[in-house]
Amino acid sequence: MAELDDIIHQPLRLKIMAALNALPVSAGLEFARLKKLTGATDGNLGAHIETLAKAGYVSVEKAFVGKKPQTTVTATATGRGAFARHVATLQEIIAGRQG
Amino acid sequence: MIDSKEASAALADIDDIVQRLKQSQLYELASLAAVWWGVLVFAANLVTWLWPVYAVYAWVASDFLGVGGLVAIRLLNPPHQPHGAAFNIRLVLVFALFFAFGYLVTSVIGHFGPRQLGTFWPIYFMLFYTLAGLWFGYAFVAIGLGISALTLIGFFFIGEAFPLWMAFVNGGGLILGGLWMRRI
Repeated sequence: MAELDDIIHQPLRLKIMAALNALPVSAGLEFARLKKLTGATDGNLGAHIETLAKAGYVSVEKAFVGKKPQTTVTATATGRGAFARHVATLQEIIAGRQG
Repeated sequence: MIDSKEASAALADIDDIVQRLKQSQLYELASLAAVWWGVLVFAANLVTWLWPVYAVYAWVASDFLGVGGLVAIRLLNPPHQPHGAAFNIRLVLVFALFFAFGYLVTSVIGHFGPRQLGTFWPIYFMLFYTLAGLWFGYAFVAIGLGISALTLIGFFFIGEAFPLWMAFVNGGGLILGGLWMRRI
């Protein structure tokens, strides 16, 4: 019986992973874009990205574009796998095979 | 463990964020296209206003550069779908049909003068913008209806300065609309 992934299940982290997973492999999203998409505050988003990064679900790359710092977050292969399993588990729960 | 209601809500959240991401990607590309067309339309209207004798060349050049720019934007930003082709012949056909129909109406069925041409093409273009917006996002509808309304106001109420009015309304409107789309 598959278990829900506690790291991904938190609502904001679920949104972050959903957005990153919808991108082509190795494509990432800038921090500012993720903030706009999720509606989260800087601090909250940063903390949840860190949790996902510690779990190995996302990679975080910091670079300078001109003089502006830019943080790009990308879903790793591990993260994509975990997200796919999490979604499959949610679907199983809806189908009544779990819960 | 959560129940099926909570699981449905989580899946709905996922769908919602994916839709928002797709819309923001679409707006980003549409914004580039709108700003590009806006600059060209602004320049062509300005030429029409300052040197009417060169207007036809300015408009032909702006149309070719406009379509070329759209194809370039498409090639530089290929679709993410696995079966999506970067160069889509349908995009070229859409523009061929668009211009063919416009030419048929303005030069074969009717014989439009400069003022009528300067009104027809923007509102014809904005009609497609508005229709596309019904599927792809309210920003297209707002820009399409806004520019069409201002174009008609110019047609009925602005005198000799109509091309100058259109430079700001159509060209400027597309540039501002494009920049606005990036902020949504």
